[in-house]
Amino acid sequence: MKDLADFAVEYAVKLGADYAEARMQSDVGDTYILKNGNPEAVGFSRERGLSIRVLVKGGLGFVSINEPDKALAKKRIREAVDMAKASVTVMHKPIRLSAEKTVKKSWEVKPKIRFEDVSAEDKMELLFDIDKTVASPKEIGVSVPYRMLQLVENTTEKYFVNSEGTIISSQIPRVLFFALLTAYEKDKETEQDIIEKGEGRGWEAVEDWRLVDLAKKRAQTLGKILKTAEKAPRKKLDLVLGNYVVGLVVHESVGHPYEADRILGREAAQAGESFISRDMLGKRIGTDVVTVADDPTLPNSYGYYTYDDEGVPAKRRLLIKEGRINEFLHNRETAAELGTSSNAAARASAFNREPIIRMANTFMLPGDRTFEELIEDIQLGVYMKTFGEWNIDDRRYNMRFVGRECYRIEKGRLKSMVRRPVLEITTPGFYSSVDAVDKSLKFEAATCGKGDPMQGMPVWHGGPNVRLRNLRLGGTQ
Amino acid sequence: MNPKEVSGFIVKEGLKSGADEIAAIAAHGTSRQVRFANNEITVTKTWDQTSASILLKKDRRILIASVTDVSEDSIRNALKKLAQTVNIMKPHENYAPLPEGPFEYQTIPSLYDDRIPKLTEKHVDYVEAAINAAVESGAKRVAGTLLATDLESSLATSRNVEGMQKKTTINLVVRALTNGESSGMGITCGTTLRDFDPEKAGGEAGRLARMSLNATSGKSGRYEVVLTRPAAAVFFDIVAGMDSAFYVDAGISCLAEKLGEDVAFDGLTVYDDPRVAGGLGSTPFDDEGNPTERTTIVEGGKLRAYLHNSLTAKKYKTKSTANAGWISPHAWNIVVKEGKHAEKELLEGVKNGLYLNNITYVRFQDYRKGDFSAIIRDGVFKIENGEITKAVKGLRLSDNILHMLQNTTALSKEPKQIAHWWMEFETPSVITPLIRLRDVEFTVPTK
Repeated sequence: MKDLADFAVEYAVKLGADYAEARMQSDVGDTYILKNGNPEAVGFSRERGLSIRVLVKGGLGFVSINEPDKALAKKRIREAVDMAKASVTVMHKPIRLSAEKTVKKSWEVKPKIRFEDVSAEDKMELLFDIDKTVASPKEIGVSVPYRMLQLVENTTEKYFVNSEGTIISSQIPRVLFFALLTAYEKDKETEQDIIEKGEGRGWEAVEDWRLVDLAKKRAQTLGKILKTAEKAPRKKLDLVLGNYVVGLVVHESVGHPYEADRILGREAAQAGESFISRDMLGKRIGTDVVTVADDPTLPNSYGYYTYDDEGVPAKRRLLIKEGRINEFLHNRETAAELGTSSNAAARASAFNREPIIRMANTFMLPGDRTFEELIEDIQLGVYMKTFGEWNIDDRRYNMRFVGRECYRIEKGRLKSMVRRPVLEITTPGFYSSVDAVDKSLKFEAATCGKGDPMQGMPVWHGGPNVRLRNLRLGGTQ
Repeated sequence: MNPKEVSGFIVKEGLKSGADEIAAIAAHGTSRQVRFANNEITVTKTWDQTSASILLKKDRRILIASVTDVSEDSIRNALKKLAQTVNIMKPHENYAPLPEGPFEYQTIPSLYDDRIPKLTEKHVDYVEAAINAAVESGAKRVAGTLLATDLESSLATSRNVEGMQKKTTINLVVRALTNGESSGMGITCGTTLRDFDPEKAGGEAGRLARMSLNATSGKSGRYEVVLTRPAAAVFFDIVAGMDSAFYVDAGISCLAEKLGEDVAFDGLTVYDDPRVAGGLGSTPFDDEGNPTERTTIVEGGKLRAYLHNSLTAKKYKTKSTANAGWISPHAWNIVVKEGKHAEKELLEGVKNGLYLNNITYVRFQDYRKGDFSAIIRDGVFKIENGEITKAVKGLRLSDNILHMLQNTTALSKEPKQIAHWWMEFETPSVITPLIRLRDVEFTVPTK
């Protein structure tokens, strides 16, 4: 199919495309599912195909095929060119792409332990071990009657070529563990937790995660919540958010609204727009301690890549620097519109998906304090260590996070657990309330959704523990 | 090979590999999409795709594969991988064989319109018509997606099952904005062009966006609520998803242990009807080959049935409802039985209520209990003394699925088909009227 990709670019240009690119992508994925101790199925997915994107007189056309058939490719490329031309009749300003250096590169993340070198039996056995531990009331201290466990491994291979001379080959393995655990205690209802671990490396990642211990600890916590957690205080208080909560907050309220396609309105139909406007660069959005980055180059990260799906070299993006809006996430289209260069945020989830602006690994940068220093002068507060429910409006302004593992803070000490405290707050309200961050930095994996058709994209989000002053918890009165 | 040849080849080769049972679904389709924003087209897309899915059962063990390369070599490789893996799997606790055919599948009317595959550049005209209608109704900026598909699929199993289906679909969602905060949405969708009306969808989006101007901040509390069809579709997709026996069993359903109980308003009847003429999810057979049939989920407020495939039916000691999914059963077309009221009558008597046109970003803090919150947008209005009076903003729907089912108080006439891009459980189609509920909770940010 690489030959077909080369041919596709040449053919599109011959048909009059001002720019053309082709991306061959192959995804080899295996999935193992265990539900309540029962092996539901093992699934293998083998996807391979070619997408071609053309820019013709300012109109953008995209096609994908998965049969390596030259005649079919020609037919669909002709259609892409014709449709792009036709679309110009409903267009006020032609689409342009930013000028970027051409490169010829090949990159690969080599696994220490290849997925195929570990037997499927061992993989299922791992899930059985986790299930057996979590299902044991003796080990966990509470009944966990519902247990959904999944292990997903995937190897992605890409070949990208464009009409400017860029050629990039790449290969990366990714692995994800997902668990939904539901604990039940008579007369105390239920409590649920989702565990997600994911990295851009081989089976060695799974070995490092120590999943049996992790799932056991999280399930035990559910039991403690059910048995001991009290109502959250309603008075004004200080709030300390744990690493994973901070990660999700910055993903939703910094990463997404700083995507330049949302800022320019391109995603308005579904995902939405942004409360950030193009003229807000440099404006203060938070306190001095708030710096937020998105970085695809973190080794082993779930969102790792070296070149994006437009052939632009990946780099760290500082979205908020010391409380001020510093940078947006760009592809070549938005970069040209805003008079800058792409910072390599264009990603496509599969061969048949258009590259659009996506986060990679989004996190708040840590400071130099200890966790104890964050809580030592809090008279009344809540420590929200992990989260359950969350959402945010389509302009990324009004957000809500419901805590899972949470503790009352009194006179500088962690006390009893509190059940499902709700942080419901505006984005500026949040970042203007952060007054301290500790020196820890932890990440959690997620699959970020955006686009139409939906594109699930592997990402990390993370941060330090963070303190917010003088808030009132939200939710039901 | 065409889809029928591919599915037949998989079954033949699968049996040779030693499988006890095998099922295959092969498909070939072409889809075309036009996306637009800021009153202009942002990209046009065409997908030409073949695919095949394989279910292999041996010694009560279950394996599944999907491939996009449907060449003979690729299929043989997939089957080889399945055969190598099957021995190290453990048996499924609730194993059930595939249904024994042959079956006679009755044709469902109005699932294919041969004009849709030929539309190509006509898509641009539809989009232009929708944008113009929205602007004429008051929109400043218009965004949206038009998607048209043409799919041929074939099912074959080693139990004498063969089924073929051809279906077209066309869906347009229009989101109109008057400023960043004020928006409206219109949808037109179907399997044929008969009722496809881009101008009406655009006009509706523009009208709601204009009405949404000058929104004031809403106050938290409990309100009487009228959900329009798109908002109701998102709600009933959740009900349908949670009715899947797989999700009941996985702790992802507040309908668990509620069979036969009063779970909803006694005037509410919801069923899954895979045989609706022109239904976006309509199909004569499920993924295991069972001929599809109507399944009543809620009748007169009582939970009557879960949706089953053969495996979940075995566990629940019942018959499949022909809702397979090889792993998880799912709804095809959810139909909410219409009520007696004209749309305007639903508002009458509402002293202090809210009118919601769209629900998105639904997230649960406890699936088992049904506690959730969601974003409301694209037309959120105050109802005072039976009339829509003004737009409101900043509110979040924060309630419970069972509570909302029980607090439904009325349904309108004229159910319509909705394909909504935010479907938590991906139900292809919900055919619903407007619904009214009481005592629904809304929250606001504290800072």
